[in-house]
Amino acid sequence: MGLIAYYFRKAYTLFKGEVLVLPSRMAVLIFAISLLVLPLFTQDSYLLRILILTNIFAILAASWDLLSGFTGQMNFGHALFFGVAAYCTAILNLRLGLPPWFSIPLGAMGAVLAGLIVGIPCLRLRGTYLALTTLAFPIILLGLVFAIPDVTGGELGISGIKRLTSSRLGDYYVTTLLMLILGFVMWKITDSKKGIILHAIREDEVAVRASGINTTRYKLLAFCLSGFFAGIAGGLYAHFMRTAGPSTLEVALSFQIVIWAVFGGMVSIYGPVAGVFILFPLLEFLRFMPKMRMLAFAIIVLMTLLYMPQGLIPWIREKIEKECPRCKIRNVATRKTCRICTAELD
Amino acid sequence: MKKRNVVLSMLLAICLVTSFGFSAWGEEAIKIGVIGPMQFTQGEGHWNGATLAAEQINAKGGVQVGDKKLPIELIKVDSNEFVSLPDATNAVELATSRYKVNFLVGGFRTEAVLVMQDIAMDNKTIFIGCGAAHPKLCGKVKADYDRYKYWFRVTPINSRFLVKVDFLLLGMVAKMMATELKIPKLKVAIVAEKAVWCDPIVGIAQKNLPKMGMEVVGVWRPSPVATDVTAELSAIQSSGAHIIFTSFSSSVGITFAKQWGELKVPAAAVGINVEAQKDGFWAATGGKGNYTLTINTYGRVKITDQTIDFFDTYRKKFKEAPNYTAGTYDAVYILADAIAKAGTLDPDKLVPVIEKTDRTGAAGRVVFDQTHDVTWGPGYVTSVGTQWQNGKNMVVWPYKWKGITYEGSVPYLLPPWVVSHYKK
Amino acid sequence: MIQNIIINGLINGSIYALLAIGFSLVFGVARIVNIAHTAFYMLAAYVIYVGFHYLGISPYVAMPLAIIIVGLLSVVCYKLFINPIREHEAAVLIATIALAMVIQEALLIGFGGHYLGVPPLVSGYSTIAGVKVTNQHLLALGVAILALVGAWALLMKTRLGLALRATAQDREVANLMGMNEARVAMLTMGISVMLAALAGAIVVPLFVLDPHMWMHPLIMMLAIVVLGGLGSMKGSFIGSYILAFAEVLVVFLLPMGAYLKGSVALSIMILVLLIRPEGLFGVAFEEER
Repeated sequence: MGLIAYYFRKAYTLFKGEVLVLPSRMAVLIFAISLLVLPLFTQDSYLLRILILTNIFAILAASWDLLSGFTGQMNFGHALFFGVAAYCTAILNLRLGLPPWFSIPLGAMGAVLAGLIVGIPCLRLRGTYLALTTLAFPIILLGLVFAIPDVTGGELGISGIKRLTSSRLGDYYVTTLLMLILGFVMWKITDSKKGIILHAIREDEVAVRASGINTTRYKLLAFCLSGFFAGIAGGLYAHFMRTAGPSTLEVALSFQIVIWAVFGGMVSIYGPVAGVFILFPLLEFLRFMPKMRMLAFAIIVLMTLLYMPQGLIPWIREKIEKECPRCKIRNVATRKTCRICTAELD
Repeated sequence: MKKRNVVLSMLLAICLVTSFGFSAWGEEAIKIGVIGPMQFTQGEGHWNGATLAAEQINAKGGVQVGDKKLPIELIKVDSNEFVSLPDATNAVELATSRYKVNFLVGGFRTEAVLVMQDIAMDNKTIFIGCGAAHPKLCGKVKADYDRYKYWFRVTPINSRFLVKVDFLLLGMVAKMMATELKIPKLKVAIVAEKAVWCDPIVGIAQKNLPKMGMEVVGVWRPSPVATDVTAELSAIQSSGAHIIFTSFSSSVGITFAKQWGELKVPAAAVGINVEAQKDGFWAATGGKGNYTLTINTYGRVKITDQTIDFFDTYRKKFKEAPNYTAGTYDAVYILADAIAKAGTLDPDKLVPVIEKTDRTGAAGRVVFDQTHDVTWGPGYVTSVGTQWQNGKNMVVWPYKWKGITYEGSVPYLLPPWVVSHYKK
Repeated sequence: MIQNIIINGLINGSIYALLAIGFSLVFGVARIVNIAHTAFYMLAAYVIYVGFHYLGISPYVAMPLAIIIVGLLSVVCYKLFINPIREHEAAVLIATIALAMVIQEALLIGFGGHYLGVPPLVSGYSTIAGVKVTNQHLLALGVAILALVGAWALLMKTRLGLALRATAQDREVANLMGMNEARVAMLTMGISVMLAALAGAIVVPLFVLDPHMWMHPLIMMLAIVVLGGLGSMKGSFIGSYILAFAEVLVVFLLPMGAYLKGSVALSIMILVLLIRPEGLFGVAFEEER
């Protein structure tokens, strides 16, 4: 009994010390809670459908940022991982009859394999070369998909995949929980030692090499991790939409992912998630002006880039938080002194 | 700078608020959702055909449902299926749960319709397909009747029958070439866009053409959106083909016809070319698409008593000829008839009534078979073959086929440069 | 057969070369990856269509007009959207993608998804070495070669060309030497888009116009530029012919796989990059700090 109370108190202290102090973390908490309790207020299947898709794409965008934002390897063909996983999951489910609990992780493994295959040629490439080469891979795979229509269903794709869970509500909770958990995991990865190394590779790869770290291994690791999370998103998509088709490999999807992530803010996991949660429902709500929809979307993105080139969330964060000049810890903007080292915050 | 952001966010807020208020409102009416790619001609065809039918029915007071007369209310739902599959599924969800439509008509891209069909079946909404030809859609009705019974297809004819008509057209052209130009053994080049719907056609052609006494000199599969097929056309010319058997549904149809006409390739083009069904084809090819022959659903001939009226009214109102997606016209009428007969909007009670439909519409006599697919054959819906002859799209088939010639059809014309090339 | 391959390859290659050189130019000089490059190409094609169909201007007049209009428009876009965020490369990339989307959507709204066409400047066909080629294609080949020679002359023989080449080599030092780097970048943008617009003008009668026509040339152009080496004009020129021939070879040797020509071209690009990461003639840039 005493032990449980101890853990509760520890959790509470942690909570008070880590989460309540910063408005951005509070916002994340409120966001997570509101997502989880939403079904208590409304179970409108249309709204749930949009949120499920948003969750799936949020995982996808966050996985892109893991690769391109943190490691600096701009990946313009992220749809490859998504599509490969979607197709693998579809084939595993349809032909071998595996339930979603197996087909999705195995599909993600397929995406990891794709990540390795893509990552190895890209090791020697830098910057724009890398970006444009990664663009090529989904297109090549698309050609392959059309070349073997017996396996892949050609442009019709594979349909008739089993549902994720037996109800819309179940789907919603599965995707929301996965999004929150995976997002948290990705964030923790970037915060860990490996994450710091990845970040360093982005800043100055030669220096990292000089420090004795095998950057090749870490770059490949980034590709595989990114591929894995994107693969989970792909598997979820296949089971939710009940079809996996060439639309999962389109160039337009790769571009969309980049737009979401850069709009929300690169080099932060929560940035792309926020970007997806703002832009995807926005696009859906703009349905009432069907002709101007994509135009409005593109204009909004363009305007945001003009005024907030770092992305939306970093811009917001700048406004509500301040960084202490001495200990580099973030504080609420309204504070006069740092909460940890009591230095003056201007 | 800050002010601009404030204005932007206010605009966004207004958008969000107004869109929430878009739930179904209003007086009692029969709500039919017309779902299709509204930004493209196919969706426009869906909407136009349905609008024409709804206006005509409402002008007569509406549909008798039991003891009251209800008007038809059409709701436009943009599936955007060419661009985004999630958009299409969201659209169906919106229509069924938010707008609460009683029926759905439309659909075009098979990949999207397969998924849209599932959502409609989940909600037990009657969905009449007017655009996707894949047999799988109706195959599902046979495999799982209780779930898929709410699905029917009015147009186009099933791709199996499409192939039959395709070969009938090819046979007609082949016969004409053999007799007029005295060519003993005809060589055929098969050009089909790389799409799954063409694969069976290519396979069947490769098997059957030798049996029909013709030789297949090559199979070319360009991309459906290829912008340049001169390489393919050069190769076809060197192969000495007399006939080009086409299967195009997308923009490559225009590119092909344009470059074929420009290069005056000595081979007659016959087959499926969806772009050649449209009025805009002539301008898009700059007139070079002359003499292209394709399968079509509507033509300005007397397929039934209603066809010419429908054709003319459609053309006058929407400034272009009806395409097969305008089959929503017949679909809405079928629904109206069934509702009046059954006296209710209940889908479970309506399905058996719709199954017994025997309606003479603008495209032909519509009777559903066991799998809720439109029946093909003489006396039912046969489709037509139309050929561009000097700026006009004329019906050239059926022309004395199984005793059928629709009034207003003309004989097929071989392209003059083909005739002069071989009549040496 | 061989004649077919050679002639078709030459023609396609010249059109690609026009696009690739413009793209390579703006990347080399201003370090901007202009994803909207082919969107401007498409815009020029539509401007000609509008001029011809709605205003009745002859294509001969409409083409130079379109080139100038689109060139000016691109400079305006550059000033408004790209210049303010020059330092953030990722943001510039997204901005050009968004710009391309804006152009596409605007055209969709204006013209719908319908396929449109413009009649050729010269109709009919000629037979060269037993291969039938449309006269418009020959015209296109001629104009493309003229334009390429003109671009080469501009770069090599004029002071402006000197400034462009200097800025491409080393931005900061060129600035120190008195070349207004910002203005040079703006001019480069204008010139490169004008080259793209010229490509659009030539190609308009040959192809079908629709608001999505910018995607495929974009992919091919990116492949060519990467293959040839970013920032190298010579590389882009040669790369475009290599990939055009690869495409034509696929169509002739593997007619069943004609749709694979894009994939094959891209695979070739990747293979070359495996061996030579800077592309064929690319300059391995020092890591710019």
